[in-house]
Amino acid sequence: MATHSAQLVIIGSGPGGYTAAFRAADLGVDVVLVERWPVLGGICLNVGCIPSKALLHAAKVIDDAEAMAEHGVMFGKPKIDARKLRDWKNQVVDRLTGGIMQLAEQRKVRVINAVAKFESANLLQLNNGETIAFETCIIAAGSQPVMLPGMPDDPRIVDSTGALEIDPLPKRLLVVGGGIIGLELACVYAALGVEVSVVELMDSLMPGTDSDLLRPFQKIIKKRYESIMVSTKVTGMRATVPGIEVSFEGKNAPATGVYDRVLVAIGRRANGDQLDADKAGVKVSQHGIIAVDKQMRTNVSHIFAIGDLAGGPMLAHKASHEAKVAAEVVAGEKSYFDARSIPSVAYMDPEIAWVGLTEIEAKEKGVEYEKTRFPWAASGRALSLGRDEGFTKLLFDKKTGRVLGGAIVGPGAGDLIAEIGLAVEMGADAADIALTIHPHPTLSETIAFAAEAFEGTLTDLYMPKTRKR
Amino acid sequence: MAYNIDIVIPDLGDFADVEVIEILVKAGDRVAREDGLITLETDKAAMDVPAPENGVIESLTVQIGDTVSSGDVIGKMSPEISDTVVIKPAIAVPPTGETTVMATPVGEKPKSRGKQTLVVPDLGDFEDVEIIEVHVSPGDVIQIEDPIVTLETDKAAMDVPAVVAGRIDSVLVNTGDTVSEGSSLAIIDAVATEAAPQPTAAKAQPSASARPKTAPAPVTQAPPATAASLPAIDEAGFARAHASPSVRKLARELGVDLVQVTGSGLKTRIVHDDVKAFVKAILTGQTAAPAAGGLPKTPSIDFSKFGEIDVQPLTRIQKIAGPRLQASWVNLPHVTQHDLADITKLEAHRQKLKGLAKKRGIRLTPLAFIMKACILALKEYPKVNSSLADDGESLVFKKYYHLGFAADTEQGLVVPVIHDADQKNVYELATELGELSALARDSKLKAPQLQGASFTISSLGGIGGTSFTPIINAPEVAILGVSRSSMRPIWTGEKFVARLMLPLSFSYDHRVVDGAYAVRFTTYLSKLLTDFDSLLKAKK
Repeated sequence: MATHSAQLVIIGSGPGGYTAAFRAADLGVDVVLVERWPVLGGICLNVGCIPSKALLHAAKVIDDAEAMAEHGVMFGKPKIDARKLRDWKNQVVDRLTGGIMQLAEQRKVRVINAVAKFESANLLQLNNGETIAFETCIIAAGSQPVMLPGMPDDPRIVDSTGALEIDPLPKRLLVVGGGIIGLELACVYAALGVEVSVVELMDSLMPGTDSDLLRPFQKIIKKRYESIMVSTKVTGMRATVPGIEVSFEGKNAPATGVYDRVLVAIGRRANGDQLDADKAGVKVSQHGIIAVDKQMRTNVSHIFAIGDLAGGPMLAHKASHEAKVAAEVVAGEKSYFDARSIPSVAYMDPEIAWVGLTEIEAKEKGVEYEKTRFPWAASGRALSLGRDEGFTKLLFDKKTGRVLGGAIVGPGAGDLIAEIGLAVEMGADAADIALTIHPHPTLSETIAFAAEAFEGTLTDLYMPKTRKR
Repeated sequence: MAYNIDIVIPDLGDFADVEVIEILVKAGDRVAREDGLITLETDKAAMDVPAPENGVIESLTVQIGDTVSSGDVIGKMSPEISDTVVIKPAIAVPPTGETTVMATPVGEKPKSRGKQTLVVPDLGDFEDVEIIEVHVSPGDVIQIEDPIVTLETDKAAMDVPAVVAGRIDSVLVNTGDTVSEGSSLAIIDAVATEAAPQPTAAKAQPSASARPKTAPAPVTQAPPATAASLPAIDEAGFARAHASPSVRKLARELGVDLVQVTGSGLKTRIVHDDVKAFVKAILTGQTAAPAAGGLPKTPSIDFSKFGEIDVQPLTRIQKIAGPRLQASWVNLPHVTQHDLADITKLEAHRQKLKGLAKKRGIRLTPLAFIMKACILALKEYPKVNSSLADDGESLVFKKYYHLGFAADTEQGLVVPVIHDADQKNVYELATELGELSALARDSKLKAPQLQGASFTISSLGGIGGTSFTPIINAPEVAILGVSRSSMRPIWTGEKFVARLMLPLSFSYDHRVVDGAYAVRFTTYLSKLLTDFDSLLKAKK
């Protein structure tokens, strides 16, 4: 006899899990949400997107204040109370996770705090001894940080979760891994006055990203960070009294360095293989990923998988979109994952955001595209923000002018990118954006300008090769 | 029901005095909310006036050709809320959510009738929330889910929707007021109970009829949430289709492969109406459902590469007729039998009668005589006046003779119908031909004047031509094409004589009519036209 029973059980309450739970509940499905932690929200709310953005905001305020000195507004050197800053970050998190709990109560979603594993295709075993019989299941158990093999067990070596506990602040931080997570946290620590070094195995930071997007950012961090070591391998770590001694192998890297904190952010691994999914007949890849169809069904048709462990980019907004598809399918609706683009944002300063086709992808697939790029140095708003390093780039179908993708570098890029995402989804042409009146003076204008550059109607910049369309 | 509501023309934007071109319902019809009631045509577009509510049409006070403007009352309907509205389970859940809360009438449960107070539901942690908009005024008829007020907390704005339908008696709050849970918002004269009980599992998920109280018997493969029997969709093509996310969602709901849909928007963007029209065409058999493989496509060419072009949209009539013509051409095995009828005597006779007829205001055309001849021939060869049953297993013989005739208009081809043509003489036929043709040219034909044909004639003789292959107006089984008559030398057995010969092109559905039957029909028809006396004798 099972302890609980439900029409739908959801494993994991991150942005995928709680969205699926609420959507399904709103459609009249009886839902049980299983979460292994005492709070809802998963990585994103607790130790991911939200807390890191709170800290990044603090970092930006510090940087902006410093930058104004050059233009005649001088503040004193900031005094950082790391504990207070951390507490504020935690308050933000608490408020949000509390809100999620409230939303669950209002919808009569039953929340169970336990670790769940499959017993069969219709039964979950919980680590508190209870069981849940279910008719349908959505697996939304996310991913976890990958650690380097053979690292000493030392509190000074942290993953992204540990790095969010900024109190006490280290003097010297090594970030292993030049991906988005590592670089965002590097940005926070650098602003808080920590000497930051970054080491990346591949030959560039954020591998797979169009290299032009990184240039403005690299120019800035080159001056600020102690060192940026690409094409460099971490060959060993040793815990010593003064710090963690890290040995490197790479052309521009020292043989060793001693750091009083090391952040390992070399990637995340899907949790698909942590659930005994095979007992339910669900196939899981060796990387912990569970393959799904366009309705988010696994190979077992009443069991669904969404989010980080369902393959594709590990992004909260992708998980929540998939969540709605899965929940609607469970409720009997004919929903499919038909999104054509998933935006990516790196929230450093300057922010880097892109959506749809990238140049690397276009070249790989042989897509004939045309690119326009509007430098923010020609944007009145960017200049008045004291930020001229950014740019807005659009990629078009060469023949039809249809918007295929775009990227933005600069403050607020993550907010601005949504317009390009809409253009891609709607199949908009360059003219559709160019002929939409954008407010002046804003950074959003730069998107219109980039479209006008394609159209040949741009007047805010002199383009010698302006063509008549 | 308790009362009738007016059916009112909604806001038409800049348009006034818009013509009614189609009436889609009649008194007594049961309609669902948003169903089209009448079609209006402005100089920009045709649009349907939707039903304001589920219910039964009591009366419609407009006719085709009338002009209407925003706010005009075009009829009355009696709304049905209690037993026809299916309330989505989500709405029936007790007040929840940060952005969707519902006003609950005082009392434990909404009562069926009478005055009730709409109050602010549980707002979660909020109190003293400001009303930023009041959506109703006394006298408004509102439906379940219609917003009463919009509240704004420091987190979000939220609408408070009605949980009962009815007429607003009085509004108790103003914009700017602050309210909390339980505050009265308005008095409503309710007309019906809230229909939905608490959501049941069965509603959300037919496969899971009851919520399991205990562990269900372990099934190795639980039933999937939906039947996975959607038609196969070309996913790669679907992912490239020029359609917005909401159109893609609609296509998924209806199981439509967007690859098969031709967009009517700018640069062939697929819009909602295209998806609906596609489904409608399949359901009504106007378009062959995309069979395995489908029809090979004609190449698409960028003509602008070769010179200047001008793209003009098809007329509404062309858009409607196109798929029907294609469906007939593709589905019916057409054969065309050609023949020549000697109408020398008939024409001479017609010339004599023409003057007299003209005095009576009748334009006595050859077509009136041809129609008369066709009636007699159809009576002799009844298969030509039949249709194939839907299952293809039997023939439906029609005891009536309604003749369609193709009329050329600026908007495109239309086929008005002369009903009970067998009961009319040539003068009457000629009169009706003239009237219907005039209506067709002015786009004023009413639906019944376009329906019910059992046989169709397409006469191009007034323009020219020697023969052609008309497309059958399916589900009819044959059509008579008429070209221009001309003097031809005819061998009598002794000598050539000049005779006025009328070319006939008779297309038939070979599944129903075979070649011998067809040529007997045309031979008989020719004979009738030649020995026209019998036509005149056939009074009615």
